[in-house]
Amino acid sequence: MTGGVLRAQGLSKAFGGLAVLDGVELEAQAGQVLAVLGPSGCGKSTLLRLLAGFEPPSSGAVLLDGAPVSGPSPSRGMVAQAGGLFPWLSLRDNLAFGPRASHRPAAEVRAAVDDLLGATGLDGFADALPKQLSGGMRQRAAIAQVLANRPPVLLLDEPFGALDAQTRLRMHEWLLDLLAERPTTTVLVTHDVEEALLLGDRLCLLSNRPARVVDEQPVPFGRERGRAVLSDPAFVRMKAAVLERVLAA
Amino acid sequence: MTGGLLEQGLTSGTTAGQVPPGGPVRRRSRRVLGVLAPLALLGLWVLVSARGVVSTRLLPSPLTVADAAREFFFGTSTVTLAGVVPFAGAGVDHLSASLARCAVSWGLAVVVGTAVGLLLGVSAWARDLLDPVLNALRAVPLFAWLPLVLIWFGIGESSARALIFLGALWPVLVAVGDSTARVPRAHVETARMLGTPRRDLWRRVHLPSALPEVVTGLRLSLTLAWTCVIVGELSGVRTGVGAMMNAARESGRTEQVLVGILVFAAVGLLADLLLRALTARWVRWASG
Repeated sequence: MTGGVLRAQGLSKAFGGLAVLDGVELEAQAGQVLAVLGPSGCGKSTLLRLLAGFEPPSSGAVLLDGAPVSGPSPSRGMVAQAGGLFPWLSLRDNLAFGPRASHRPAAEVRAAVDDLLGATGLDGFADALPKQLSGGMRQRAAIAQVLANRPPVLLLDEPFGALDAQTRLRMHEWLLDLLAERPTTTVLVTHDVEEALLLGDRLCLLSNRPARVVDEQPVPFGRERGRAVLSDPAFVRMKAAVLERVLAA
Repeated sequence: MTGGLLEQGLTSGTTAGQVPPGGPVRRRSRRVLGVLAPLALLGLWVLVSARGVVSTRLLPSPLTVADAAREFFFGTSTVTLAGVVPFAGAGVDHLSASLARCAVSWGLAVVVGTAVGLLLGVSAWARDLLDPVLNALRAVPLFAWLPLVLIWFGIGESSARALIFLGALWPVLVAVGDSTARVPRAHVETARMLGTPRRDLWRRVHLPSALPEVVTGLRLSLTLAWTCVIVGELSGVRTGVGAMMNAARESGRTEQVLVGILVFAAVGLLADLLLRALTARWVRWASG
């Protein structure tokens, strides 16, 4: 499984008279991470909600492997800043929620959940409630909950935005490892330039509201980047340049 | 890849057996406080009846009432005329008749209240349609239903059950309706995104998410059902604690009326404790 190709085609969205997205064109390639950067309040989250199918576009379309999508679906798993864990379910039941909803056999669900508990380093917390986990653990679990459905596309809306800087850096390295093991087309919406450059294969820059794509470029650092890349002079230069562009957008 | 990634273990302080603020000593002393008030009330009662402040016809002494209670539960039953509500030795019969009535009616109220409440909570359309009617019906006092229920169901068991049902229905219906309508949209969206069909949302998201408030509604409803037993037993039934009290009032046996009140209080308290214990594991995620 290498993930699907997710395409936004002339995607526009207006709430009442307020135009939020204005003909957004972007493509997340199979198995790659597309980092979407933009100024605060530019409509990044709305874009992701449209890609997830939570909101219908005013015009334009979302295509997964060429076929238009409508409504939320397990094929596009989304994780927001506050995570999607159900507070009344144990971690194990949270991870099993998706596979059970699609009536997968119990043994298969159990195996998938055990696998994900391992991949998230949460083996010891299978029976804990979400409120008993730290913020970083909760976000890892929320991503695992979505991945339990083996979605071709993963949509991340500032997933680490509420975490402290050290935890966030650990989460970045963890996510890179996870996606290396399970190639999944990922759209990552963030306002954090460092996060975008650290995780993204391509970078997509949005303008102020109503958002349009103003720039798209590949991220020229290999997939094997850990925190070491943060002190690479090329990384530092690019980070400064991209930040300038975001602030000017 | 997980080396150094694991954060610290469980965050402290959410387990069930946790010591409340102030430590175990404070907790014990607070339990003592809870026993103090009834003891003081009993003392006052002893004092008032010993001094003869109030006529024994209005307020018999605690000993008289204790005697009556013993006779009620353990006395030898005397054969009574048909149509006369028995007292001596009839305690268990009356109590079980009331409990059965309450259980049947409350059970039905829980089922109907949960079903209609879920409909209101899940469907805005049903809410707009039914809310005004239900709110108006809810405002009708239980005693106002009594004549109509007697006309519809006649004197006896069915009327008693119908009245208890009406008393117990609204707290469940309102608790389920309000709490399921307030389920965060993010939970519904997450469930949909994870592949839950629309028709399963009520049992996968709405009901579990609302459960703590539903349990509060169930407790309120059970207490109300139990208090409505006395109204239900005004419908002319010959058994039940309420029927016994009505008969005792007619023959001026104040001590028997007081026995009934004490039985109602004790059973109500025990039923609530039992329900809390049974539902504790449903609400643990929301406590603390």
